[in-house]
Amino acid sequence: MDLTRRQLLWAGGAIGATALLAACGNGDDEPAASATGGSAKPRKGGTLRVGALGRTGAVTRDPHGTQANESDYLILSLVYDTLTVPGAKPNTEPRLAASWTPSVDLKTWKFKLAEGAKFHDGKPVTAQDVVFSLKRLRATPSGASRLPGIQAKNITAEGTDTVVLVSDYANAELPLLTRLTTFVVPDGTTDKDIANAPGTGPFKLDWFRSGNARLVRNDAWYAGDVYLDAIEVKIFESPQAMTNALLAGQIDLASNAGAVAARTAASRKDIQTVRRPNDMAMPIVMRTADGPFADPKVREALRLAVDRKAMVEQVLSGYGSVANDILGTGDPAYDKSIPQRTRDLVKAKALLKDAGFDTSKTYELLTTEDISGLAESATLFATQVREAGVKVKVVKQDSAVFWDKTWLKGDLYTTYWGTNDSVVFFASKTMVSDSGQNEAGWEDTAFDAAYQKATGTADDARRTQLLKQLQQIEYDSSGYLLWGMADGIDLAGATVRGLPTLPGYGRVQLQTAWLAR
Amino acid sequence: MAGPLTDQITPPAGPLRTLAGDRPVVRVLIRAGLVLVKRTVLLAVLLALVFTGVELLPGDAAHATSERGETAVDLAQRRHTLGLDRPVLERFWDWMSGLPTGDLGTSAHGESVTDLVSTAFPNTLVLGATALLLTAVLSIALGCWAALRPGGRLDQAVTGTSTAVFAIPEFVVAVGLVLVFSLWTGWLPAVTLADADGTPSSWTMLVLPTLALTVPQAGWNTRIVRAALDDEARAPHVETAVLDGVPPLRVLTHHVLPGALPTIATGLATSSGILLGGAVVVETIFNYPGIGAVLSSAVADRDTPVIAGVTALAGAVISCVLLLADLVRDVVTGGRR
Repeated sequence: MDLTRRQLLWAGGAIGATALLAACGNGDDEPAASATGGSAKPRKGGTLRVGALGRTGAVTRDPHGTQANESDYLILSLVYDTLTVPGAKPNTEPRLAASWTPSVDLKTWKFKLAEGAKFHDGKPVTAQDVVFSLKRLRATPSGASRLPGIQAKNITAEGTDTVVLVSDYANAELPLLTRLTTFVVPDGTTDKDIANAPGTGPFKLDWFRSGNARLVRNDAWYAGDVYLDAIEVKIFESPQAMTNALLAGQIDLASNAGAVAARTAASRKDIQTVRRPNDMAMPIVMRTADGPFADPKVREALRLAVDRKAMVEQVLSGYGSVANDILGTGDPAYDKSIPQRTRDLVKAKALLKDAGFDTSKTYELLTTEDISGLAESATLFATQVREAGVKVKVVKQDSAVFWDKTWLKGDLYTTYWGTNDSVVFFASKTMVSDSGQNEAGWEDTAFDAAYQKATGTADDARRTQLLKQLQQIEYDSSGYLLWGMADGIDLAGATVRGLPTLPGYGRVQLQTAWLAR
Repeated sequence: MAGPLTDQITPPAGPLRTLAGDRPVVRVLIRAGLVLVKRTVLLAVLLALVFTGVELLPGDAAHATSERGETAVDLAQRRHTLGLDRPVLERFWDWMSGLPTGDLGTSAHGESVTDLVSTAFPNTLVLGATALLLTAVLSIALGCWAALRPGGRLDQAVTGTSTAVFAIPEFVVAVGLVLVFSLWTGWLPAVTLADADGTPSSWTMLVLPTLALTVPQAGWNTRIVRAALDDEARAPHVETAVLDGVPPLRVLTHHVLPGALPTIATGLATSSGILLGGAVVVETIFNYPGIGAVLSSAVADRDTPVIAGVTALAGAVISCVLLLADLVRDVVTGGRR
């Protein structure tokens, strides 16, 4: 694209005029525009260069494949649309599905597709495309966990614009499940063509090579304005290299860079730190079914022995918040009225004595270095509980070994989770007696009953009430010690605006971003 | 280095012998062919070891590429899809039989391994070759320079520095280079970003990774060059030349250096293997789009086809370089015999 001198002059004049206007405006009370919002009006144009973590050997182009790479997931999320997307309040917002209505028993859900939604090749999206995509998703090895309770035969089309999902059980939060990987491709796309299947998303794929990609704006997007001309996604194997690239001005945004990178960049005034609260839970799991932590008093003692503030300060470099042993901290229905547990060594010791806990033994706390801070949290925890008389030795395992041998089985281990905006999500995945990932082997009939009632209740107020019950039981006796929540941290150059602040999958909603220059 | 195999095949006497003896090209070709066969067998053994080695590691590709919450049934299905439920020998044979057609199999994430390595491997080769070339030039120049005045102050300085430099690991050199030449001065890009064709988007991005690889290796090779020149300088024909009053520089280039070449070539050939190994570390630090990143993630994922594919390619390249070094030696020593 060649610019003539006239165009340059014109552009220069326009920028000058904008600056002048801005200067004339309410200059004093206007805060310095920030990456996440700022008061300025979004401006069209520019290319955002985004760094995202990923491993070249694990690259996947299949929107329904296993997305181990942040970079792949980012690219797919910008090219393809899911039925719903994460929101702040409520936590599920419409995307390709404009609206949804449940049956009275909360088993049958009808999703009405957004009007004017088109694939990048111009073809309108039909319910049949969605049915095809969901069935394809369901048929992957991870299908059962991605669309829990929904069998392939229960995914059908009603007319051209309505998709009907029938769940095996009442599920008030079914639309939440359709936020994650329900990427829609055209009906009949073969595995061979999947990498180049047109999407419906805010950006079109220009090129893809070895995990790097260039995406250009889809001007015909149905779901709102897109400001950037293009997004270039660059794959990075290490957060350190990604931070260096940002510091050297080679990229504009380091996505999900982490606390260490934020600390590195803290001294640079031209680097903006975007904190997305409630992004990652790193609880310690205590096995409840059997073993040394089966007694609820022992678990309570450990929860009282941990110094949560110190954990957040040291493990997360302060980029996080103290938590209260209830998972799903970002849920609008999260119960803030339950008193915050704080450190109480006296009570912890008393409880241990009461329970007849063997303090002469050393207990192993198993962990991995899968994500930064995880192993560190284990080490600090071990130091802290020693003051309550519990001897803990940290054992680091290779990731493959950890997930194979320790996860779901160990007596005491660390875990981590990303979707923190739903109490029910965690209950259904990890705490209900028959859940597939019952990390602590927890079985509690009262909890199960509360869960059944809550997910089967359509009325919001009543449901929130039931969810409170559920959270109280979880707080009292579950196998989780959730000491804190890590912020998601993105680092951005000075000109980046409009970045998403939602936790978890919210980070990929880059269509709102724009460049001020 | 000429193995027993070569000795057996060398024709005993007669017209053939004169033919081979008179035409070094033919002899060299025969030798190259034999070495190639030997190395191919070696590579096959190596690949078999890779297959069994990955098998012995805890965990498998099905597990490594699964999502949390997949049940035992899901995992079994994934195992079946990836063919992990078949005996390792069968999988090895399947993979090997695809090799002649250039098919390196499919990664655990469903991507073609040939695609995965087709951009990454040439990138690493460019990086490695540039570093090797620079190493060769630097070490020979420094070695010769030092050898002109043996025991002099310059000689001591070069020898001392090269030892010190070799002792610094690549990653320390790399981090130092980024800090100085990119983050402080802003002269060079801190990391490598790839373009649509998969190659670095600017040649300036090659400078720092190449230097990070070259510096330690140049140190090592300077020492080898210096020692080889020293050995050769004591040879009778060199002494004759010196006594004849041939100027030192001419003695070096015409009498000492040719004799030292085989040793220097072997040293550089060995470096090529170390360079490829060091590339894994350096590529991570500079985000260089090379084979190192592919390999390290494949090991984490227990992704046998990818690991084997990279091993095969790297093995082939290192074999070629070693072969070249052998040939250099053959030509040099053969000419004198």
